[in-house]
Amino acid sequence: MNCVFTASPGGPSLAFKTTVIATLRPLIEQITTGEDHHSSSDCILQRLSQKATKEMNGNMPMVTKLSKCIESKQSAACKEEKNSKEAAESNKLVCIEKAYSTILRELGEITEREGLLRTPLRAAKAMQFFTKGYQETVQDILNDAIFDENHDEVVVVKDIDLFSLCEHHLVPFFGKAHIAYIPNKKVVGLSKLARIVEIFSRRLQVQERLTKQIAVAINEALEPLGVVVVIEAAHMCMVMRGVQKMNAKTVTSVMLGVFQSDPKTRKEFLTLTL
Amino acid sequence: MRRRTAGTADPVLFNGHLTGRFDSGPCVRRSAEAPATGTVRRSDPQPPGAEVDPHRPAASSVMESWREERTRSVEDNEMSLPAIAAAYTTILRGLGEDPQRQGLLKTPWRAATAMQFFTKGYQETIIDVLNDAIFDEDHDEMVIVKDIDMFSMCEHHLVPIFGRVHIGYLPNKRVLGLSKLARIVEIYSRRLQVQERLTKQIAVAITEALQPTGVGVVIEATHMCMVMRGVQKMNSKTVTSTMLGVFREDPKTRDEFLRLIRS
Repeated sequence: MNCVFTASPGGPSLAFKTTVIATLRPLIEQITTGEDHHSSSDCILQRLSQKATKEMNGNMPMVTKLSKCIESKQSAACKEEKNSKEAAESNKLVCIEKAYSTILRELGEITEREGLLRTPLRAAKAMQFFTKGYQETVQDILNDAIFDENHDEVVVVKDIDLFSLCEHHLVPFFGKAHIAYIPNKKVVGLSKLARIVEIFSRRLQVQERLTKQIAVAINEALEPLGVVVVIEAAHMCMVMRGVQKMNAKTVTSVMLGVFQSDPKTRKEFLTLTL
Repeated sequence: MRRRTAGTADPVLFNGHLTGRFDSGPCVRRSAEAPATGTVRRSDPQPPGAEVDPHRPAASSVMESWREERTRSVEDNEMSLPAIAAAYTTILRGLGEDPQRQGLLKTPWRAATAMQFFTKGYQETIIDVLNDAIFDEDHDEMVIVKDIDMFSMCEHHLVPIFGRVHIGYLPNKRVLGLSKLARIVEIYSRRLQVQERLTKQIAVAITEALQPTGVGVVIEATHMCMVMRGVQKMNSKTVTSTMLGVFREDPKTRDEFLRLIRS
């Protein structure tokens, strides 16, 4: 909270001081603890009102000092919460690291050899990076970047590099995403489309679901006239193992709104993109 | 037979022949029955194709990171599958996913089987692959097999590496079945690898098997650990090469090889 007090000639009046104290009482009660916090808060208020008389004309308004005090208490509480979150995160990392050590041992490798000494930790961190999309939400990244714009032609962002993990084999699949939408008075910052792709692709995914999630997220955020998302990807689970087809690509698409209902709009998008 | 404990005697010194590095028991017996026409001298610790160069480590030091040779069997795979699957379940939980949801129900088993497939090079030995396909042929011009697709796993991040391998050699009265070159690539690439080591292992294996006048191996690969994470450079490629014998000594031969693989 921010309050500015300006000094009046002749010092603060009693009515003024009473108003200040009434304003400050709830704030002070926030920072005092214990059963007798009312009496201690009265004490503080008394001292503060004495100080206020001296400091009204000073450089640091009293309320700024008070709000700083509250902020530091709140940040201490936040810090505590952050510390416990970090402890939980590092706990998870240790679990994943131990799991990778087991995997290396069971595959027949010598885990003490130089190249593999820190591999469990590196692999655990890499896997956490590949699934960082779980920690992010569309609201976090989109909140500020929606603008009112009188544009009603198709907007296409294509060739967005995409990397995800197959949820069936835990092996990467990667490719390109192409997104188009027809705004309805609202446009979004262009990089935000790529960020939406990042949020949903950095998870354990199935290509069909990934395509739909991106389309639905844009639809909900912008309420455009239509959205289409096309993803073209190579799946390492098909290339490196199993049927082992090197050049196979999987293409999925989701069309919403006018792209679904109007074939001409759909055709315009396909011409622009593919 | 499960893997031996670490710290056993160094196989190279055990029989003085580099072949001991690649193979387990059967190869130890084979070195006692070395073919009469072979040019390998039992006392020679290095294959004839490898040059002693103070500025380049000897071929045997490539194996220094493998303190012992181990071969995995199909039975080993079956026995370790439940442990690997349990480890993957822990990983899924640690990442915040629900291992009980429909899409992930059998994922630990699939991922474990996939990982065993990606490391199946540990189950195979060069001798198994090459035994019958070496032929006497009076051919002394370069033989090149290029654009061999290669898939490996980065030993530092357990993330795929993929690319192409180009192999060339100058036969010395003996040629190899062409698909066997690709099989040698498979054996060494389907392991936890570092691209430099992989390149050298392929070159040394061909030298060991054929004793050719020279061997050249070039690998061009993309590392997912650089593309999907870390520095995130999408188009970067890593190129490594190993030249042995006349490919190292003679710049014209090397030049011919490099030009032919590029065309």
